[in-house]
Amino acid sequence: MTEKLAILWPEIFLFIATCLVMITGQWPSRAIRQFTPWICATALVLAFFAAMTSPATQGMFPAIVPYAKMIIAAVGLLILLLLSGTVDRQLELDVDNGKPFQSIRSNRGEFYAFFMFSLTGLMLTASADDLIWLFLALELTSLPTYIMVAVSREEDSSLEAAVKYFFLGALGAAIFLYGFAMLYGATGSTNLNEIAAVFASDGISSIGMIGMLIAVIGVSFKIAAVPMHFYTPDVYQGAASPVSAMLAFVPKTAGFLALMFLLGTVGWGSGLGGGHLPIEIEATLWIMAALTMTVGNILALLQSSVKRILAYSSIAHSGYMLVGIIAGPGSDGGAFYQNGLAAVLFYLFTYGVMTVGTFAVLASLEHRNGREADHIDDIRGICKSHPVLGWTFVITVLSTLGFPPLLGFIGKLGLFSAGISAGHYALIVVLGINSAIAACYYLRLVAVAYIDDTEKTKDPVYTTPFIMRPLAGVLSAGGVILFMVFSGPIVDGALNAASYVAPVPADHHDEHHAEEEPRTDEVALLED
Amino acid sequence: MMTSSLLNSMVSTVAAIAPDTAGNAAQPAAVGHGPSWVLLIPFLPFAGFLLNALYAAFGVKSKLPAWTTVGLLACSFIATLSMFMGYDGTPYTVQAFEWFSIHYGDKSFVANFSFYVDTLTIYWMLFVTGLATLIALYASEYMSHDVGQGYNRFFAAFALFVVSMSCLVMGDNLIMLYLGWEGVGLCSYLLIGYFYKKPSAVAAAKKAFIVNRIGDLGLALGVYLTFVHFGTVQYAELFASETLQSYMAAASHGDFGAIPGEAQWIALLLMIGAFGKSAQFPLYVWLPDAMEGPTPVSALIHAATMVTAGVYLIARMYPVFLVSENALPIVAWIGTITAFLAATIGMAQFDIKRIMAYSTVSQLGYMFAGLGFLTPTGGAYHVLTHAFFKALLFLCCGAVMHGFAGQLDLRKLSGLWKVKGWGIVSLGMLVGCINLAGVPFTAGYFSKDTILAEAFVTPGYAFLGWVLILTAGLTAYYTFRVFFRVFVGPVEYHPGDELHDHDHDHGHGEEHSHDAGQHGDHHADHFHPHAPGWAINTVLVVLTGCSILATGLYFVGADKDAHTKHYADTMVSASSASYHSHYGTHAFEYYEKDPEHYPQPGHGPRGSIDAPLAMPLTGGDPHKMMYYISGVVGVIGIALAWLLHYHGRTKASECKMDAIAKRFGPLPRWAENKWYVDELYHAIFVKPLRIISHVFHWVDKLLVDGIVNVFGFLPRVFAWIIRPSQSGVLQGYAVSMAGGLAILLFVVLIIVSRAGGAS
Repeated sequence: MTEKLAILWPEIFLFIATCLVMITGQWPSRAIRQFTPWICATALVLAFFAAMTSPATQGMFPAIVPYAKMIIAAVGLLILLLLSGTVDRQLELDVDNGKPFQSIRSNRGEFYAFFMFSLTGLMLTASADDLIWLFLALELTSLPTYIMVAVSREEDSSLEAAVKYFFLGALGAAIFLYGFAMLYGATGSTNLNEIAAVFASDGISSIGMIGMLIAVIGVSFKIAAVPMHFYTPDVYQGAASPVSAMLAFVPKTAGFLALMFLLGTVGWGSGLGGGHLPIEIEATLWIMAALTMTVGNILALLQSSVKRILAYSSIAHSGYMLVGIIAGPGSDGGAFYQNGLAAVLFYLFTYGVMTVGTFAVLASLEHRNGREADHIDDIRGICKSHPVLGWTFVITVLSTLGFPPLLGFIGKLGLFSAGISAGHYALIVVLGINSAIAACYYLRLVAVAYIDDTEKTKDPVYTTPFIMRPLAGVLSAGGVILFMVFSGPIVDGALNAASYVAPVPADHHDEHHAEEEPRTDEVALLED
Repeated sequence: MMTSSLLNSMVSTVAAIAPDTAGNAAQPAAVGHGPSWVLLIPFLPFAGFLLNALYAAFGVKSKLPAWTTVGLLACSFIATLSMFMGYDGTPYTVQAFEWFSIHYGDKSFVANFSFYVDTLTIYWMLFVTGLATLIALYASEYMSHDVGQGYNRFFAAFALFVVSMSCLVMGDNLIMLYLGWEGVGLCSYLLIGYFYKKPSAVAAAKKAFIVNRIGDLGLALGVYLTFVHFGTVQYAELFASETLQSYMAAASHGDFGAIPGEAQWIALLLMIGAFGKSAQFPLYVWLPDAMEGPTPVSALIHAATMVTAGVYLIARMYPVFLVSENALPIVAWIGTITAFLAATIGMAQFDIKRIMAYSTVSQLGYMFAGLGFLTPTGGAYHVLTHAFFKALLFLCCGAVMHGFAGQLDLRKLSGLWKVKGWGIVSLGMLVGCINLAGVPFTAGYFSKDTILAEAFVTPGYAFLGWVLILTAGLTAYYTFRVFFRVFVGPVEYHPGDELHDHDHDHGHGEEHSHDAGQHGDHHADHFHPHAPGWAINTVLVVLTGCSILATGLYFVGADKDAHTKHYADTMVSASSASYHSHYGTHAFEYYEKDPEHYPQPGHGPRGSIDAPLAMPLTGGDPHKMMYYISGVVGVIGIALAWLLHYHGRTKASECKMDAIAKRFGPLPRWAENKWYVDELYHAIFVKPLRIISHVFHWVDKLLVDGIVNVFGFLPRVFAWIIRPSQSGVLQGYAVSMAGGLAILLFVVLIIVSRAGGAS
């Protein structure tokens, strides 16, 4: 129990902050109310440093906790910059105009609290070693986001989006919980390491396999992969841009971590010569990956709403990252460009930074009546009218496209080369074609922002009064440039986090354990 | 590897990231690591570039960019000087950062951002940074009419040029050289097109860039082939590689058959690159047009430094050239042809800056001929002396242009020496001219002699030697034609047409305000030449001094142990450019011990290793005889110029030569029109290409675009088909999710059962 506690310090910090902001957010004194985001930020910084010192764990992914929680805290800080002010702006304006502050009518405290709850859930997902834990953590990640979507804007569309999201989310959760139950039925354990040991010693029974497939497909709701992707565009468009940015990063990260943990139990040692998932799972993921990329990209072609484009792009990116999951840790876990899991972990961070930057630009622009910028005409010519935002948009979108030499390119290159070294050539061809299709709508966004002139419309966009939102965008774009040049530490971190210890049969667990040790050392040596 | 850079990450696709192998890649023990302050030499000008760009961004409207650039370049020169003083005879490398470092299998591709310092590097960098500093100071005054955006832009490009040139000269591998090569090409383009509102300047900039593309293609292929054949692009590894050493051994016996053709091609490809950058026939056509740029640019880039990059490339890669049977003879022939052709064109031009441009092409021809005659020392020595006197000549021409409102026609200027304030310019011009003409005991005389003499020492080049001697006479003639027409004789001047030019008027508006209404009616009494100020004069005095003192370099710096005769010889011989060092540093000892199997040092691998050839016609050692022959030829050329262009001349526009020229029929006109080479190129290359490009344009538009559009259209069709799935109806989504799950499981079941059945 105590060793478990050692890796939970980040979650504990976040939880304490959650409790605090629920109180301070409703405080009658404005100074204290405005202190709320700072509490969240402090907790995230503390969580970041706590994660940095997290010890290695026992199990399949001994080193994943520090890296995963560090990128969660880092991207979480960026999202916090975006989120701050989303729901309290109108409220504080009313207070300025002489209305008394009524805590019963305000949900500002809850908004921050839900955000922190969601991040806590995400970090707990990274710590999970048990199906129950995993389920609870995934739901803790998702449930607050349903409410955040609902309250982020005072419009019917966001309520509609929230309802859809909630019901479909519940259906998704039901599906993977069903899969979890079958896994338990097949192996008699909810502990992932024990399940892995049973699979390793007795082989995978049919009920276990079906359970695994259903669980994998269910969890893919979180990453918005086909066939669980339908909600994405409606929800992204219905939510306020800051919340959309959060949805693009938080559930996706949770989903991929969960996928890694689930698939870790069956391992990547099947197939001729090893290096493959069991064929049933590989075929499922293969189809899902190919469909997800293709559907995401080609539907994005027709959109005129920037948020919908980004939503479909988010679907497509899940498809790309599934390639890394299929490729697995590779034959030589020490090489970043052969390790699909490292590529996924790196890409999650990359994608988080880029997508927050793009949404930050949208969140920083609004019409005179307070309506958010969304239509593609709203960003026409912003490089000239709002140079800072415009360039942020261009850099982050180009990076999302994977334009060399930006950060997104390095991430995508990792996925490509991992897929190639694992021998999935057909899938890489699909990935290549999809990248080309994706270029079509990303370059359209860039062209609209950079080349086109601002049209004299009746309803032009203005910068929002939140300085934090452009700041989040600029930080993201800066991150894209900075980590492009100094990608080394993050690549090394992802590589280290992706080190995977294949499960050993349960019967011989104790004997084999001694033999396992030098193997981990070898991996460590390769990484140095 | 905390600083593993972007490119490192990008290109390591197939490579394990192996940080520990990068630092200590197998390098010969002879190459040590140098002090890191050497990095200041390129980085100080780079800081200058950044600052100037910043000034441009903030719209600085003062001379700040000039002083920044001059100051930083001066510091860079001082750093170079310290590098020279502190050099202890062993080459070393200094790494700025890891750039490319890919290891695959047992091979590797390493090209770091590091600098290789040996005597050749120091030799080149000394005059590059020194002249850059002086010319930046000159430009501070020369460009003063453009203070504001143009001034910032000028000095930003100027500083960037020095950075690129440093990369080119100091890089420790061919990739760095290529980077610098393209960098100087870019800066050259930017600065030729500096007056971008002038169509001729834009055309000249484009011409320079495009003609250089042809050469650069050769260079790129050469670099590529070097890597393919030798497995490295780093100089130190390349020169120490056993493959190259074995080729050198074979070449030293004239056994070129033993060397693979691939290795011999490297030199030929690199040579094409050198021809482009150094304006050799047939790629020389861009350089005369490049004079559209501001004169300081012509002086620094298009006379003293950038155009010598080709000489540097060949000198640096001399071992590779030595193992190619045909490369050096071609270099010798092309150099000679260029020297002669450009001199004949220069004789018939009337624009003094253009004369200097053709003279530069001609002198570069001498340098290439020197390389071809197996005397890289001669080539490099001429580079140095030429850099000083040609920069001086250009700056003098620039002062004239600056002071006489853009007038450069030698038929409209005369007797400037007697005009008040033009003494320093005229003196500088005289010193430059006697150097260029090869008047005895000038620096230009000694360096040219080194090349000429070697033509008669190295077997097979005597004919080229005579052509070059004739060219030396022509050079003396056209050089002093300028001097006798413009600087002495009766005082007469007509201003150029820049008085109407608003860009130029900006600085001199008050001075010439009374001219404003008198279009086309500028007589000498209305026009007051604008004598150069302190900055221009200071630089001219310093450069005049340098050109005179450069003579002294012939008498100092000899190294008895290394059998070298003077400074340039010592510097070049101690580097990769020295061929005797490549037949073993102890070539002399070998020769003394076993003359049958070793070439005589100084006479190369190709011909007789008997006693030095005697000078044809006169006999005697060519090294000694050449002092007399070239001296006499030079004096004859000057005398002719005196007779035809000064003696009895009363007007600026008329002289005795006019009558004589008529007797030559159309020849002078053809020469004035540059032998119609531009027209020829236009007919042979430009027009057919234009026609082909129209054809391809339509093929592209109709066929290729059509196919591409169909493929671009397909995803949209699919999108239309599947779009209804995003209906927005909650029940529909839920059914689709559940249905999708079921279908997916079903499909997987089929796949698995088929796979199971098959196996």
